[in-house]
Amino acid sequence: MHRMKSTVAGKRTASQSRGASAKTTHGLTHPVIIYPFRQPDNYEDLQQLYALIETLAGNNEIYARPITVMDRKTHQACARDKRFMDFRNNTVARCSDILDAWCVDTCQMWYSALGMAHERGGANDVYWVIPGDFNYGSALGHEVLSRLHDLPEICVELEQDVCIGEIAADLNNPKHLIDTYGTFALLYIWFPQEARGIREYTERPRSEFFAMRHGFLGEMLNRRWFAYEQTVVTLLHAIFDKKHISRFFVGHVSDLPEGRESVASAMAQVERTERVLKTLWRERHQGTAGWIEQYRALDAQSEQVRRTAFTILQNLLS
Amino acid sequence: MSSIQRNTYGAPRNLRAVNFICDAPAAQSVTLVGDFNQWNPHSHPLLLQPGGGWLIRLELKHGHHRYAFLVDGALTLDPRAMGITRNDEGQRVSLVPVS
Repeated sequence: MHRMKSTVAGKRTASQSRGASAKTTHGLTHPVIIYPFRQPDNYEDLQQLYALIETLAGNNEIYARPITVMDRKTHQACARDKRFMDFRNNTVARCSDILDAWCVDTCQMWYSALGMAHERGGANDVYWVIPGDFNYGSALGHEVLSRLHDLPEICVELEQDVCIGEIAADLNNPKHLIDTYGTFALLYIWFPQEARGIREYTERPRSEFFAMRHGFLGEMLNRRWFAYEQTVVTLLHAIFDKKHISRFFVGHVSDLPEGRESVASAMAQVERTERVLKTLWRERHQGTAGWIEQYRALDAQSEQVRRTAFTILQNLLS
Repeated sequence: MSSIQRNTYGAPRNLRAVNFICDAPAAQSVTLVGDFNQWNPHSHPLLLQPGGGWLIRLELKHGHHRYAFLVDGALTLDPRAMGITRNDEGQRVSLVPVS
């Protein structure tokens, strides 16, 4: 079993972790691990991740019992895979409570696990989402693992409602291209003012790395939760409601083994973002006079943006 | 280098030296403001280095600190910062972790 460096949060004392500018009594941090949907060829990345989780689980002054959410489809597909079952039973279950859930997509896994954690939590607690499908076994991945704890700590120390983790990607990385030509372009159509607000903090409005405070998470859980692109929705609500937002750089890490993403996948992500933004816009405007005409006008502009994004992504990713 | 102090309860309180560098060759003055100096615009002036960069080395305790540069009096984000947040006035400022 690999052990984390001494700088990892789990090695710290409670008083140290409270940091530079703490002002209030602190609750617990709830780590929520999103187990990968597809099983990797080797478990190095997951072993590194769960070495961190084991450290967190051993520090119950700061951390609540971690929760790992696993899609039932993953479990059923791998039920006869001895390596998977050994890892699930001997590593994952040892240091976290496993939540088996039927999930449409990753954001629904967040919903199930964050909901469970929130029910266990209290007013001063913080919830920390850790995606499982990144290359934590790489040298750069180790560095990322040693920085992730900053996200909940920033929420605690600086009394932030949400802290978004931003990963590094070059300008031609598919995630960056999708966000530039899809996510932000669509946001500027449907929510232009809020989009400017989001971009003051982050270039990664769909990040899977984040931490949230109990109160804000409770508000979000009780609103419509989307199976896709929930980070964008969370950031929009944070801007709507003037929440305290921070962004922190977590390093160089990738969930794309081959470093590329298919055009079809990129198009699907743009379509999903558009669908979510349309739904959210209607929810916020359907009570106002003339909203249907305004919606149709925005919808026409949105379609132009989506078509342009498809053309650009096709040119750059094919 | 870091040094260690003890607080009232005997728990270790790490201090670590952090370099703050601001690239502003045309500026007349650059100062550092943050939670650690109550955003005092006068207490931490940076020194101009050969090449046009401004530097100050400061010992900070463990945790996350909000800060910004005042470049000729204008609040300026640090482009090298690890994070972004807002200060109590609602202005965008930079974040530095100290571990």
